[in-house]
Amino acid sequence: MILLQAAVGGLLLGAVYALFSSGLTLIWGMMNFINFAHGEFVMLGMYVALLVTWVNLGPEVFGPAAAVALMLLGVIVYMGLIKHVMRGPMLSQILSTFGLALLLRYSAFYIFKSDFRTLPDTALSGTLSLGGIYVSRAQLLAGLLAGVLALGMHVLLTRTALGSRLLAVAEDRNAAMLMGIRPDRMQALAWGLSAASAGIAGALMAIAYPFSPSVGETFALTAFVVVSLGGFGSVPGAMIAGFIIGLVEALAGYLIGPIYKDVIVYGLFVAVLWIRPQGLLGTG
Amino acid sequence: MLLEAQKVSRAFGSLLALSEANLSVGEGEIVGLIGPNGAGKSTFFNCVAGDLEPTSGSIRFNGVDVTRAPAEQHALLGVGRTFQVPATFEDMTVLDNVMVGAFLRHYRRVDAHAKAMEVLRLTGLEAQADLRARSLGTPGRKRLEIARVLASEPKLMLLDEALAGLTPAEIQRAIELVHHIHALGITNVIVEHIMEVILTLAQRVLSDVVNDPQVIEAYLGHRRHARRERRA
Amino acid sequence: MRPRWGSIVLWGGLLVYPLVVSFTDSGDFLQDVGASLVLSAIGACAWNIVGGYAGQVSVGHAIFFGAGAYVPLLAYELFQAPPLIGVPFGIVVAVAMAALIGLPTFRLQGHYFSMATIAVAELIRLVVGNWDLVGAAIGIQGPATPRAWWDLIFRSAVPYYYIFLAVLALTVYITWAMARSRFGYYLRAIRAGERAARSLGVQVRRTKLMALMLSAALTSVAGSLYAIKVGFVNPESGLGILVSVQMIITAALGGAGTLYGPIIGAIILVPLQSATNTWFGGSGSGLTYILYGGIIMLLARFEPGGFVELWHQVGPRLLRLLRARAKTERARAA
Repeated sequence: MILLQAAVGGLLLGAVYALFSSGLTLIWGMMNFINFAHGEFVMLGMYVALLVTWVNLGPEVFGPAAAVALMLLGVIVYMGLIKHVMRGPMLSQILSTFGLALLLRYSAFYIFKSDFRTLPDTALSGTLSLGGIYVSRAQLLAGLLAGVLALGMHVLLTRTALGSRLLAVAEDRNAAMLMGIRPDRMQALAWGLSAASAGIAGALMAIAYPFSPSVGETFALTAFVVVSLGGFGSVPGAMIAGFIIGLVEALAGYLIGPIYKDVIVYGLFVAVLWIRPQGLLGTG
Repeated sequence: MLLEAQKVSRAFGSLLALSEANLSVGEGEIVGLIGPNGAGKSTFFNCVAGDLEPTSGSIRFNGVDVTRAPAEQHALLGVGRTFQVPATFEDMTVLDNVMVGAFLRHYRRVDAHAKAMEVLRLTGLEAQADLRARSLGTPGRKRLEIARVLASEPKLMLLDEALAGLTPAEIQRAIELVHHIHALGITNVIVEHIMEVILTLAQRVLSDVVNDPQVIEAYLGHRRHARRERRA
Repeated sequence: MRPRWGSIVLWGGLLVYPLVVSFTDSGDFLQDVGASLVLSAIGACAWNIVGGYAGQVSVGHAIFFGAGAYVPLLAYELFQAPPLIGVPFGIVVAVAMAALIGLPTFRLQGHYFSMATIAVAELIRLVVGNWDLVGAAIGIQGPATPRAWWDLIFRSAVPYYYIFLAVLALTVYITWAMARSRFGYYLRAIRAGERAARSLGVQVRRTKLMALMLSAALTSVAGSLYAIKVGFVNPESGLGILVSVQMIITAALGGAGTLYGPIIGAIILVPLQSATNTWFGGSGSGLTYILYGGIIMLLARFEPGGFVELWHQVGPRLLRLLRARAKTERARAA
C-alpha cells in the first residue's frame, strides 16, 4: 500500500517534471541549445510564489505571476544574451547560461538565505484519501495542473497557428523566413514559453514541497535526464519521460533510501546515454 | 572504376530525398553533376563522401565497399570533399588549416608543414599563410578548402559548388586550379549549377540524380548540342 | 621555441614571487595565496586541454580533481601509506572515469557530454558523501605530522609553491608539445568544425576521448597536490560544482585554447577571490559566485576568447599609441 502511495506521489511530481522539461526540450529542439539555467528558472518560480504570499495574495495568483515574471525573464535573456552567443562557439554558448545559472542561484542565496521554506498554509493543506491512498491535496493539485499545462503546451505547439510557426523555425530557419515568419521573434517567444513553463512548475511545486535556492541545481539535472530520456527536441517524449523519472525517483526513494533517489536517477541518465541515447521518442 | 555508386537511396523519415541514383567514375575523369536545388545532389554527394549513410544501395571506392563507412574512413581511403558552404577552420591560420589536411598522410610536424607549404604555393595562398581563415573572403575560403583537401593527397575530389558566388575572374582562376588538380592525377566530381562551368570542365556530365526528362530539358535550355550523357 | 619576452617575464616573476613577498609584512599569507594561484593555474591548464583546445566543455571536472584528492588520502587512512603513493592510483581512477563518461557521449552532440559531466560529478559527490569508508560528509584527513620527507608536510607555503610551480611548468610543456603535434591540430580542428575535421580523416571520437583522458590525468594531479597541501578533503571541497566552476572560469577568463590563458586567468582571479573573501567575510563566497556568474556571462557575450584575445585586438593599438607618445616626447626633448 505504501508502495502504491509512493508511486502516486512520484507520478504527481513527475507531472511537474514533465512540465518544466517540456520547456527545456523545446529550446533544445528548436535552437540546438541547452539552457543550463533552466533549473534556476524553476527555482525562481518558487520564489515568485513566495513573494506573492508576502503581498498577501492568494495561491491562485502564484501560477500567473510566475508565468508572467519568468516569461519576461526568458525573453530578456534571449534578447540580451542568447541571440548573440548562438552563432558563436560551443564554449560561449554553454558558458552563457551556465554563468546565468550561477548568477541567479547565488543571488537567491544572498537574498533569501539557504534555508528551506514552505509556503503558509492555505485551503490546499491537508490530505485526501483516494481509495486508501493518502495524497496531499497540494501535491495532487500541483501534479494535475502541471499535467494539464504540459499537455496544453503540446497542443499549443502542434495544433495552433502560433505553434506551427514555432515548429517551422525549428524545422528550417531559412524556409520559415521565406514564409514570412520572423525566426528571431519566434525564438524569443520560445524562450519566454520555456521559462514560463519552468516558472509555473516552480510555483506549483512551491505549494506542495519545501524549497530553497539550492533546488535549481537538482532540477536542472532532473530536466537533463528527462529530456535525454525523452529524446532530443521531443515534447511528448519529455512528458512521458517526466512521469517515468518521477516514478523511478519515488520508488527508488522508498525501496532503497531517500538519499539514493538522486543517485539512481543520475545513474539512469548514464545508462540511457550508454544504451539508448536517442531516448524514447527522439529523432537523434 | 574508381568510384561506383549503385542504386543509392536516402530517406529522411518519410521523405525520400534520393532515389536509386547511380554514378560511375573512372580514374582521371572529370565528371559534372548538375541539377536544380532540391534534386538530391547534395544528399547524393554526402552519401558518396560518407557524411550520410544511404538507406539502400551500395558505394564502392577503389574496390572497397564504403557504403556504411564513416567520413573519416573515406578520407583515409582517398576521398576528399569540399562543402557547399565553406567549412574552413575560421580561427586557425591558413597554414594551420592546410596542415590539418596534411597530417592525414604525414605524422610528423615538419613533414606536414612542408606538404602544407607546397600546397599553399600550388594554390596561390602562400602569401596569406599566417592570416586567420576568417579574414579571407568567400573566394579565398573556397580556395583554402580545396588546398586543405589537396594536402590530404586524395585520389578523388568531390567539389560541392566550389564555384558558386564567384566573379567571372575568380571563376577563371578556380577553373585553372581544377585543371591543375586534374593534371596531378586526381579524379574530380563536380557538383554545380553554373552550366558554363560544367561544360567547360567536365568531360562527362550527368544529370541522372534527376530522372525527370522535362526538368533536364528545361535546365539545359534548348542547346541540343550540349555535351551530355544520360545513364539510366 | 622562440622565447618571447612575455613568457620570460611571467616565469621569472613566478619564480621569484615567494622571495619578493617574504620581505613584506604579510609575507606568509601572500606566499600561501601564491601557492593557491599556481595550483589554480594547474587545474585550469588541465581543463583547457579538453575544454579549450578541443572545445568539449566539461562542467564536471571536479570528478577528476576529487579522484586525485581522495585516493592519496585514502591510501593514508586505510594503509598508513604516504599520500604520494596514492597519486598514480588517483590518476588511474580519474582516467577510468574519463573513459566512462567520454565513450558514450562523444558519439553524440556536444550538449550530452556537458550534461553528463554535471550529472556524473553530482552522482559521485552524493555517493561519496554517504559512504563511510571514504569519509562520508565529514571527509578524510591526511597525516597530521610528517613521518618522513615523503609525507610532504611543510609549515611554510614556500616548498609547496615550488613543487606546484614545477608541476605547472610540466603541464604547460605538455600542453605546448601537444598543441604543436598532429594530435593538437586535430583537437583544434574538432573545435573549429567537427564535420570538416571528419572529412579530413580526423577520428573525432577517439581524439576527443584521448584529450579528455589526458585532461583528467592532469586534473587528478592538481587534486592530489591540493590534498597533500591542505591535508584534508570532503565532498564539497573535492567534488563540489564550485571546483569545476573555478577551473572553467580561470581558463576562460584568461583565454581558453591558448597556452598561457589559464595562468593569466589564475593571476587575475585568485588574488581577486582572496580579496573578496577578506572584504565580505563569511558571506563572501556567495557574493564571489554572483560575481563569477556575471563575469562568465560577460565573457560569453562579449569576449569568449578571454584576456588573450582581448590583448590581440587591443594590444597592437595600445603599443602603437605608447610608441607614438614616446616618440613625441623624445622629439620635444631634443
